[in-house]
Amino acid sequence: MANTFHLQIVTPDRPIYDGQAEKVILRTLTGDVCILDKHIDYAAPLGIGEARVTDANGKTRAAACNGGLVSVESGKVRVLATTFEWADEIDVERANRTMEATQEKLKHTRHDDVEYAVLEAKLKRALLRIHVVE
Amino acid sequence: MAGTSMKDIKLRIKSVESTMQITKAMQLVATSKLRRAKERMEMSRPYADIARQAIISASISCDDPTVPYLIKQTDKKSCYIIIAGERGLAGGYNNNLFKAQLAHAEGKEYCALPIGRKAIEKYTRLGVQLLSDAYHGVEDLNVSRCRKIAGMLLDEFRKGTYGDLYLVYTSFKTMMSQEPEIIQLLPVLPEDGMKKEKNVSTVYDPDIKEMLEAVMQDYLAGTLYSALCNSFLSEVASRRSAMDSATKNAGDMISELKLRFNRARQGAITQEITEIVAGAEQ
Repeated sequence: MANTFHLQIVTPDRPIYDGQAEKVILRTLTGDVCILDKHIDYAAPLGIGEARVTDANGKTRAAACNGGLVSVESGKVRVLATTFEWADEIDVERANRTMEATQEKLKHTRHDDVEYAVLEAKLKRALLRIHVVE
Repeated sequence: MAGTSMKDIKLRIKSVESTMQITKAMQLVATSKLRRAKERMEMSRPYADIARQAIISASISCDDPTVPYLIKQTDKKSCYIIIAGERGLAGGYNNNLFKAQLAHAEGKEYCALPIGRKAIEKYTRLGVQLLSDAYHGVEDLNVSRCRKIAGMLLDEFRKGTYGDLYLVYTSFKTMMSQEPEIIQLLPVLPEDGMKKEKNVSTVYDPDIKEMLEAVMQDYLAGTLYSALCNSFLSEVASRRSAMDSATKNAGDMISELKLRFNRARQGAITQEITEIVAGAEQ
């Protein structure tokens, strides 16, 4: 059995995970990172991307993780995510609807509009949700 | 009210009874809201605690003077986020909060972001410059709206509208006690009792400045949301105990009035009998 470490995942409205884990893969702004036991102290902001958590029993779960921060401090890993949804909690139909609606809106929005970036981020999140479920 | 007539007492009993019905109903509403509010508060706490810790430990390790969030700017005014209630009738809930804020801000020039109708009314009346007066409700503010507020606050900070930011809210201790609290959000400074040595071995990716920039909004939004949950729970708890004692007082008053009513009735009957007997004797 692999070594485990304490992992805590929280979002503003509820804690998601609090327990031992073997491995966690997250997307930071500079790229994917994989954190294992005995990682050095580390902190990085998160982007929009898939997260994979392998718990102490070796079971891996995927999730859609959006924004926030990961920090490792004396062996404890903390993930502060703006949203964090496990693959089995995602409403795919809703994500599909959002994707289509935002794609449609993006066609009519100019690139330099403030709205454009907002819509783009929304589309990214919808695509991520769909990707994670698949 | 020794000489009050039976009719007057009866009217008073009626009016106290209807007041009691209202306070009783408000107490029941508060009780039913209490559990959900408590759950919400407990759910929101871990994020706020961890976010604050992470931001503070990063700020201790950061010695870059170009990061604006860490430097005290004394030449600018302060800003207060004040979270009060939407309604009154919650004991000293709103007033204690305002008192704490005014004592803290004494002699300072400041602008305010009031949240909750009572706070908006109070600070408009005081003539304080408001960043926004759009946030009437406390109960219905969710995380994404908190993010918007946080974004707005950061924009104003970068523009230089204010130099330091405080959050005034009511912290829930127990069902019986809630205390107003003030925390400093910006610039980020370590709290008393926190270890202040630098953590030189921590790796920041890509670097500490960008990390702070990226998580600032999350930090403000998370702290704000948790404070909102705390305040709302305090408001509900405070209203429940206020309405509980109001209902008790109304009950006491009714039983006292009933006693007086019975005495007056007895007196009236005795008087009538005396008159009849006196009439028959003649």
